[in-house]
Amino acid sequence: MIQIAVFAVIAAVAVIAGVFLVLTRNAVHSALFLVGVQLCLAVLFLLQGAFLVSVLQIMVYAGAIMVLFVFVVMLLGVDKKEALIEPLRWQRPIAAGLGLLLAAEAIYLALSQHIHVGSGGLQAGPHEGNVQAVARVLFTNWALPFEATSVLLVVAVVGVMVVARRKMV
Amino acid sequence: MQIDYAAVAPELVLTGALCIVLVVDLVLPDNRKGLIMPVSLLGVAGTLLALLALAGDPTRTTLGGMFVVDSFAVTLKILFCVAALLTLAMSYDYLRKEGIHQGEFYFLLLCSLLGMLTIASSRDLLPIFVSLELVSVPAFVLAGLQKIDVKSNEAALKFFLFSILSTAVMLFGMSLIYGITGTTNLAEIAVRLAATPVLRSIAVLSVFFVVVGFGFKISAFPFQWWVPDTYEGSPVPVAAFLSVASKTAGFVGLLQIMFIAFHGLADVWRPFIAAVAILTMTFGNLVALTQRHIVRLLAYSSIGQAGYILLPLAVVNVNGGSVNHEAFAASIAYLLIYAFMEMGAFSVAVAYGREGGYFIDDYAGLGYRAPGLAVVMTVFLFSLAGIPPLAGWAAKLFIFRAVIDGHEYWLAVAMAVNTVIALFYYAKVVRRMFFEPAGDGPLGVKVPLLLQATIAVSTVMVLLVGILPDLAAHLARMSTLV
Repeated sequence: MIQIAVFAVIAAVAVIAGVFLVLTRNAVHSALFLVGVQLCLAVLFLLQGAFLVSVLQIMVYAGAIMVLFVFVVMLLGVDKKEALIEPLRWQRPIAAGLGLLLAAEAIYLALSQHIHVGSGGLQAGPHEGNVQAVARVLFTNWALPFEATSVLLVVAVVGVMVVARRKMV
Repeated sequence: MQIDYAAVAPELVLTGALCIVLVVDLVLPDNRKGLIMPVSLLGVAGTLLALLALAGDPTRTTLGGMFVVDSFAVTLKILFCVAALLTLAMSYDYLRKEGIHQGEFYFLLLCSLLGMLTIASSRDLLPIFVSLELVSVPAFVLAGLQKIDVKSNEAALKFFLFSILSTAVMLFGMSLIYGITGTTNLAEIAVRLAATPVLRSIAVLSVFFVVVGFGFKISAFPFQWWVPDTYEGSPVPVAAFLSVASKTAGFVGLLQIMFIAFHGLADVWRPFIAAVAILTMTFGNLVALTQRHIVRLLAYSSIGQAGYILLPLAVVNVNGGSVNHEAFAASIAYLLIYAFMEMGAFSVAVAYGREGGYFIDDYAGLGYRAPGLAVVMTVFLFSLAGIPPLAGWAAKLFIFRAVIDGHEYWLAVAMAVNTVIALFYYAKVVRRMFFEPAGDGPLGVKVPLLLQATIAVSTVMVLLVGILPDLAAHLARMSTLV
């Protein structure tokens, strides 16, 4: 019962932070709201018993990546105002309307059926902890996407070097 | 866990090759960077050999059932490798002339190819997603390689923003399906969806998101807005690679998910796909009529072609059977043929663009100035239009037959009307080339050797498959998943 209560509160906070993240005009505020979303997600992972993922979420996302975000925001200048003239004025209301329609459909579909789903997530072995369980599936069942991701990271490094450093001859 | 190394040999060869390319790029002085091109070419050729060694083998499954090497995977991987070889041959002189850094170009191209290879074998949502990213992320950088060119920047940025948005939508759909079925394996998803009908309502939502995500990758209406700008701004060989290989990779992922995982929901998504396919081809063909830049014309034409390839999905039957088999085979056959005619048209555009220009007006009188180039361009354009006895005609016939077999006659009518519309803009370029006086362009266009090879291979394939359409049909029938 307490789990459901915690989930309800944290999920609500995450959604609210997400909405403000989009709505606020100030980039630093956006970044801070993003930290809020990440922390909420970490708590949600804790509720699922995924301790390792939760800690990683805080260390990697709320920690490292957010620091990078804030650095970039600082480098680009917080005070600069974005140009707010929209070339297509009708675009925003239509997008909002269609978005609401989609949300309504999703909620209708979710509520129209009573769906009970068993957890299909991480099933830790009885004698091993979270870290061992994650490592076991990551390097056996999920070896292919894991290795593919490593190539993706190399691509990202090379791509950044090309975009940021190379001069045209 | 046992790994079947023979099954992953092509990927291993390619990964080795791209590591070598990266290191060779590091040690070569700036004026010798051209040497990386033969290294990359050898790498892709080695991958192709490893693939050919796998052809005809019984199905191999490894890495926990996630990686499957069957005739579908092998056929498409060979297609991807050939497309990459053609792109490499097409780019060499182009890059030197435009002063684009060669080392990074080849490395990124090979990385994108690696993603394509793995997506053809992935039978699980997670590797499909990672592979699709591996296809797209290098392509963002490739599109923006001409850094001082504003259009190239615009191309890369548009491609990047649209692509990550679509990926986010797709990932949301995939997370929903994982949430309700508790698995990411495609076959397992189908089993669990069939076992618990109550899950259908959420599954429909998930299908919708996944289709939208793939819609961006395959440039289906209304997700195609980035295509013309990105193709026009990118280096032209990159545009060719995007329009052939990257789009085929999107289709491969889509076909696998729709035919294996979401096959039981075909009743729900069939009308949706039908509408998207018709709108895609109509939009692409109508807007192409007004284009004046050859790359933009090919971009809109490739949008129209995506509509044709999508069409057979609109006749899929929930109960399975020969209709599904034919529909799948028709899409595959079209993809196989489309690759060569599109690559051919782009390579002629590159060849002529070196001296002539990229506007359709520049093509005036090409028939007098460079008759050979004009004739092969005519072959590719008429093949794209679907005129017999060229390969594009056979491709359209397969789609047509699959749709008729599915008793969706109105789809066949819509496709026929579109084919007629498309003929106008292809014929417009041909008329420009042969029936208009030559401007003050160069007389006799010099085409570099590698580019000649690209054009020759494409021409031979288009003519050969046009005369013997059973080649493509047989290969496609063998390579279905249903």
